[in-house]
Amino acid sequence: MPLLFMMVLWLSAQGAVPKDVILVPGAVPSASDTTTPVPEAGQLGGGRYRNAYFGLTYPIPAGWTEQPAGPPPSDAGGYVLTQFATMEEQRLKAHVLVTAQDLFFAPFEAAGAKELSAMTRGQVPARYEFDKGPDQVTIAGRTFYRLAYKAPVSGLRWRIFTTDVRCHTLTFTFTGTDVAVLDAAEKALGGLALDGKAPVCVNDYARDHAVTKTTPAFANRYNTIPVRVIIDTEGKVKHAHLLSAFPEQSQAILTALRDWRFEPYVVDGKAVEVETGLVFGLPRLVVR
Amino acid sequence: MKPCRLLAVLLLALPLSAQVVVDPGPRGGTPDAGGPLASVAANNPFKILDFFLNAEQRFQEIGSVKGTIVGAPDDGLGPRFNALGCARCHAHPAVGGSSPAVNPQVADGKAQGAANVIPSFITSTGVIKEARFVYFTDASGNPVTSQPNGQVMPLFTIAGRTDSGSCTTAFIQQPNFANAVAKNNIAFRIPTPLFGLGLVENIDDSALQMVLTQHYTGPYYVGGTFNRSPNDGTISRFGWKAQNKSLELFAGEAYTVEQGVTNELFTQERPSPEENRDQGPGLAVQCRLNPTPEDHTNLDVPAEDTPSDTVMFALFMRLLKPPVENMGNPATNPNFSRALNGSTIFIDIGCNSCHRDKFTTEPSSITPDLSSKVARLHSDLEIHHMGTGLADNIQQGNAGGDQFRTAPLWGLGKRRWFLHDGRTTNLITAINAHQSPGSDANPVILNWSLLTPTAQQDLIYYLRSL
Repeated sequence: MPLLFMMVLWLSAQGAVPKDVILVPGAVPSASDTTTPVPEAGQLGGGRYRNAYFGLTYPIPAGWTEQPAGPPPSDAGGYVLTQFATMEEQRLKAHVLVTAQDLFFAPFEAAGAKELSAMTRGQVPARYEFDKGPDQVTIAGRTFYRLAYKAPVSGLRWRIFTTDVRCHTLTFTFTGTDVAVLDAAEKALGGLALDGKAPVCVNDYARDHAVTKTTPAFANRYNTIPVRVIIDTEGKVKHAHLLSAFPEQSQAILTALRDWRFEPYVVDGKAVEVETGLVFGLPRLVVR
Repeated sequence: MKPCRLLAVLLLALPLSAQVVVDPGPRGGTPDAGGPLASVAANNPFKILDFFLNAEQRFQEIGSVKGTIVGAPDDGLGPRFNALGCARCHAHPAVGGSSPAVNPQVADGKAQGAANVIPSFITSTGVIKEARFVYFTDASGNPVTSQPNGQVMPLFTIAGRTDSGSCTTAFIQQPNFANAVAKNNIAFRIPTPLFGLGLVENIDDSALQMVLTQHYTGPYYVGGTFNRSPNDGTISRFGWKAQNKSLELFAGEAYTVEQGVTNELFTQERPSPEENRDQGPGLAVQCRLNPTPEDHTNLDVPAEDTPSDTVMFALFMRLLKPPVENMGNPATNPNFSRALNGSTIFIDIGCNSCHRDKFTTEPSSITPDLSSKVARLHSDLEIHHMGTGLADNIQQGNAGGDQFRTAPLWGLGKRRWFLHDGRTTNLITAINAHQSPGSDANPVILNWSLLTPTAQQDLIYYLRSL
């Protein structure tokens, strides 16, 4: 958003509309504060991609470079976190797409990474050849579900690693044509860190345990507005992250949520913070 | 060594990566599009062919202000317009298609002595364009970023035409396109092909939603969502941003915006956005020349002449057969097997994630060939982020400045211009334009870049077979 602001200032100074800038963005993410990490705000530095929300540090394989940024979070809870690629002799050899899926808002029913990995496998065409190798691997102390296969006609190969983090699935999709390059990238994934410090996450807790709530007033645009909230130990909304909403909708929802109260989430007799999801506007689309 | 032999040796020595992938251009031969669905041609149900032929004829009529000009019997033109008739723009490779080789707007803007200046971006060999201003402007012509415009700014007025009556340049002027171009405050759209749209209209929302789910569970993350009707929340699907719910709405809007003909869906003469701005004066009374709506149900005539033009335009689009895929004859087309290979590569690299090959339509009450048929449109009909490189900064419904409906690829092999603004005639340029910051398609274009030149060429041959 600061970049957009600067562009608008630039525009005012120049009197012309800048090229290659999205000035009318449609539904966008927003949050109640700027200090609490959000999934889409990862950063690159020192040869590592860091994402504070997921506690993720990914050492970028040597020679791989950052690719154009992905789209904003979708209204179905999908994130493109980052993408890197490597070239040799001016030819692309492989790339990795790092994505996350918020399971509170996904358009499918899956408890986590294992089911999602199975769904992905189910979509792979029958003519593809699956590689030998483990279906599960341990990286950064976590279980990742691994899919590896090849498309015989195009020669493309995939290695897909999916794990569970904070009621999201986190997926690394490597695609390339060179086995050695993919082997090296898979090996480098071993340097991944996931620290795991986060509130407990519970689907539909906000829906089922609200004590006081007011309906935000905004015009119905027939869009789905997924909102991740962190409820504090007193039952107040400590943080709200709207994944996809028009500005007037964000404002109305954030204003309303300030007055919402919930039953505190209790673990072993003690109230703790809980992260959960709410949906405004059009209900979550789930195809079963 | 002789120079030609040296060249041959050098060419053989070139690495694979130096092979040049080329777009062979629009496929030759028969149009492979146009005309009615087979069941319509067979007149099933009885009389439907008469209605189709009547609609096709109306679709090709030339407009004039009062319908009094010889050869231009369709009344209601203007006071602002982009072209003189539907088929002026929807012409290639057959009536109902897209922009033809020669742009008729150059002649249409000057027809009957009209006083228009042809904007710099309209040329006789260029693509047909519709223009929108991104922002309203201040008194100095500078864009005002707090005031998005986004509406169509018709290129021409009727002023100066022999049939313009009181509507002279004193009362109506063309927008300042030169300033808009200089300030980059302009976005363009080209005509969408209309073939097979009855099938598109008859795909149930649930089928589209199923495909969206697969975007999130498959190996290619491509996001996506739907534009929806503001009236009932169902999925809208026509136009570059899927902003129109139905063919009738699509036809009614085009009739008033592109030709200036008021109709039963859009009943008032349309002022320019500037005339309507800040509760402005609206369209000058001197330019409201006809009773409204100009196009309406004709209660005093029989049968197929009764429906309005708008209804018949929608019917024409609904009954047009879809384009025919044509890889040529395996015995005579040396690229047949390569195109076939390309159809597999299309899926391998993920094009098919958004350019979904087919849907099955619902039972139809209109004609058998719309009923429970496979529509190979190559589109998921979702709106996707296409990034900074393709953004036009026009919002329509829930589609933001960089969101576009996945363009259906059926008929692509015959197309002359690509992308929403017709910026290129080259398929390879169009493919690469899918990659820019913020685009859903970035991973797929990286997959395209992983391919060998031979595989890329196979894919291009396949696309030119659609």
